[in-house]
Amino acid sequence: MTTGNREDYLINILRLTEGEGVVKTTELSSYMNISPASVSEMLKVLSKEGLVEYEKYKGVSLTENGLRQAKNLRRKHHIVERFLVDVLDMDHNSAHNEACAFEHSMSNDSANKMCRMIGAKVDSDCETCSDPCNGMTDSADSTFTISDMKVGDFGVISHLICEEPDRMRKLISMGFVPGREVTIDSKVSSKGPWIVRIGNSIIALDKGLSSLVFVDVGRK
Amino acid sequence: MDGTCQVALIGQPNVGKSNLFARITGVGVISSNYAGTTVEFKEASVIKNGITVHIHDLPGTYSLSTNSPDERVVVDMLSDDSNDIVVIVADATDLEGSLVLCFEVIELGFPVIVALNKIDAARKNFDIDAEKLSDMLGVTVIPVSAKTGEGIDVLVDTITRGGAKVSDMRVKYDSHIIDCVEKLGIMLGPGKRYDWGKRIKLLEGLNAFTDDIPDDARIGIEEMNEEFFRHHGEPINVHIARDRYGEAHVLTQNAMKPTERKMSRGERLSDMTVAPLTGIPILLGVIVLIFSCIIFLGSYLAELVEYAYDVVIGTAIVDFGISLGNEVLEAVFRGIDQSFRAILGLIIPYIMVFYIILGFLEDSGYLPRAVVLLDRSLNKLGLHGGGFIPMMVGLGCNVPAIMATRTIKSKRERMILITMIVMAVPCSAQIAIIFGTTGAFAGLFYSLLIFFVLMLLGISIGLLLNKIMKYEPSNLAIELPDFAIPKLSNVLYKMWTRTKDFFMIAVPLLIIGSIVIEVLLQYNALNVIVEPLSFITVGMLGLPAIVIIAFLVGILRKEMAYGMLVILAASEGFASLADFMTPEQFVVFGVVMAIYMPCAATIVAMWKEVGAKETVAISLASIFIAVLVGTAFKLVLTAV
Repeated sequence: MTTGNREDYLINILRLTEGEGVVKTTELSSYMNISPASVSEMLKVLSKEGLVEYEKYKGVSLTENGLRQAKNLRRKHHIVERFLVDVLDMDHNSAHNEACAFEHSMSNDSANKMCRMIGAKVDSDCETCSDPCNGMTDSADSTFTISDMKVGDFGVISHLICEEPDRMRKLISMGFVPGREVTIDSKVSSKGPWIVRIGNSIIALDKGLSSLVFVDVGRK
Repeated sequence: MDGTCQVALIGQPNVGKSNLFARITGVGVISSNYAGTTVEFKEASVIKNGITVHIHDLPGTYSLSTNSPDERVVVDMLSDDSNDIVVIVADATDLEGSLVLCFEVIELGFPVIVALNKIDAARKNFDIDAEKLSDMLGVTVIPVSAKTGEGIDVLVDTITRGGAKVSDMRVKYDSHIIDCVEKLGIMLGPGKRYDWGKRIKLLEGLNAFTDDIPDDARIGIEEMNEEFFRHHGEPINVHIARDRYGEAHVLTQNAMKPTERKMSRGERLSDMTVAPLTGIPILLGVIVLIFSCIIFLGSYLAELVEYAYDVVIGTAIVDFGISLGNEVLEAVFRGIDQSFRAILGLIIPYIMVFYIILGFLEDSGYLPRAVVLLDRSLNKLGLHGGGFIPMMVGLGCNVPAIMATRTIKSKRERMILITMIVMAVPCSAQIAIIFGTTGAFAGLFYSLLIFFVLMLLGISIGLLLNKIMKYEPSNLAIELPDFAIPKLSNVLYKMWTRTKDFFMIAVPLLIIGSIVIEVLLQYNALNVIVEPLSFITVGMLGLPAIVIIAFLVGILRKEMAYGMLVILAASEGFASLADFMTPEQFVVFGVVMAIYMPCAATIVAMWKEVGAKETVAISLASIFIAVLVGTAFKLVLTAV
């Protein structure tokens, strides 16, 4: 059995459960068009590996580890799909089918690079997926904020977290928008402000604001 | 078009909007190399092809997507029906950022022309295809340079020939967002009032647009926002911005091809000024340079002006007074002569030198760097680094400094900052008095000591108010512009616009004032005020009782206090100011002058910005502190 196949299970369970609920084996089997017997066979394997929690007759859900892997896969799927549609001008259906194959063979690194290349719209507008896509937001390596970054680090903004809408708006209006690349030029002190290069402008952010901006970090 | 055309000029901060405005209209406006010089909009007109073009310069705004008061002004101005067209000033060196604002304006359905400014600088690094950009945006794009004047004629020509277009270009938003916009359209019913762009703004939750929509639509918008967040894990306004930047990125890639690019010297220097090891010494160096320029250039120029006055006017005014053969008139003309000397000897050397230095600092792009360096220190005083710019401006005049605090959102922070500016930041007239009297007659050491005390006072005010007032966090986000070599003409122009008030208002006021005071002195009418208040002037501060007149006149305008001092000294029979008071008294005079009571214009500005109660409180507190510090100085100086 190939890795590809196993990963297909993870991503399809994610699609059907959206990370929370439980999906019945029969549902999964009809969704994936595979016999229920093979499905339960595979689920036992995945359960042993700690990727899913599986109880016969009740159904299956992803473990934390499984969820992470599934989301990472789905993110790659979206990146490839956007690439095929936006850059190569393919139609959504064939892009989706091809992305289903690519998502398994692609390294994290090249996914990140491709993501950076196509810019902003990676997670959006995936019309052929069963449910809304929030792949980028939850991707495994986006736990850094600007305030965690070192001088010389660069990365793509993944999301903003802020309770106050007006502060969020301020960040957006200054160009701190998911999908844009940021580079840390320098740091005035260990507690900031951070001097950040974004687009063609250089902006200083203090600790309060820079800890609201989450970044997929790639180091130089 | 019927002979006139109303144009709104909009653009992000620091894209050279004000310079472009000046280029088009020939009317000078103050521009600087940092964000937010234009706080209020300006207006001027130009006639071309028989059409009068009225141009309104709106304050710089990064986007139309926040609820900050300065952006609200822009949105309201834009929505004002009197505008025929909107000229968007885009920065060719940062096209991506500029395009986002373009999209917002285009989507709102305005007839638009894009002026692609700084084209000369951008060409050094990029091949720019303005026509392609024009095709993609669906509006006319004109490459211009406010610096060299390139393209300005074409721009004005296009405006007068009706070259502005309403574009049907739309950002390719996520399909879910488009669904929401369409649903909202059905909810609000048909009609131009809520066309595409406005509906997007409604989804973004912009107050300027949501204020007057029906309640059910408001609830609908909230529900859509919640649903969107559930599905996408991010607020809809973030996603809208994300799509705009995505589109801007694609357009930029298509319209600009980078040529070979090296890091300019300006950029490397930019790193050094904010790096901790080099930044602080550079900042200290700049401060020392500012002070030495004011002190040495100021006193050198003061001598020069005095010499020039002796050569050109000499005793002409005094002689004319004597020739009239009337004792009162003779005294009046002597007073006029003295006030001329005082004001010219004061304004030209100190105030003008300060504004030239400030101009250089502003245009070089250094000020935002100082803001960044000082951010953490100012945090302790309840401010963020942004407070530094109003303080610098306050060293010139407190009125624009108080206006400049508008960019600060937190009311509490504005109160702290305004209190500090009014009490502890001496304006250029006060600086001139500190150097011109205390410095001249008691020694440089004492004038520097006054600055040191003011600094301590400022810090104490900050620490104290920061403790007393309720905590509201506020954050620093400031753009660092590239370093630029200041243009002497712009620096001198700014100096002139900022000092002309001294000539236009202060000189006539001083002349009238000196006439009135001279007459009152001749008839001994001033004792009514001088005597009752002498417990402060003589008793506490140890100054000649008559000095109270200088203090009172100083409430009108600070520099008049100096002119008045000269007149008072003469009326008491002292030939030179140096004989009027002892060096110790000049120190006390200087320190009281620096702290007490804001001038009339400052009081009006404060009243408008923070309200009556606060203004009265700050003014009374300043008198109290001034007398307190002055008395302390007197006690220490007489004890030593």
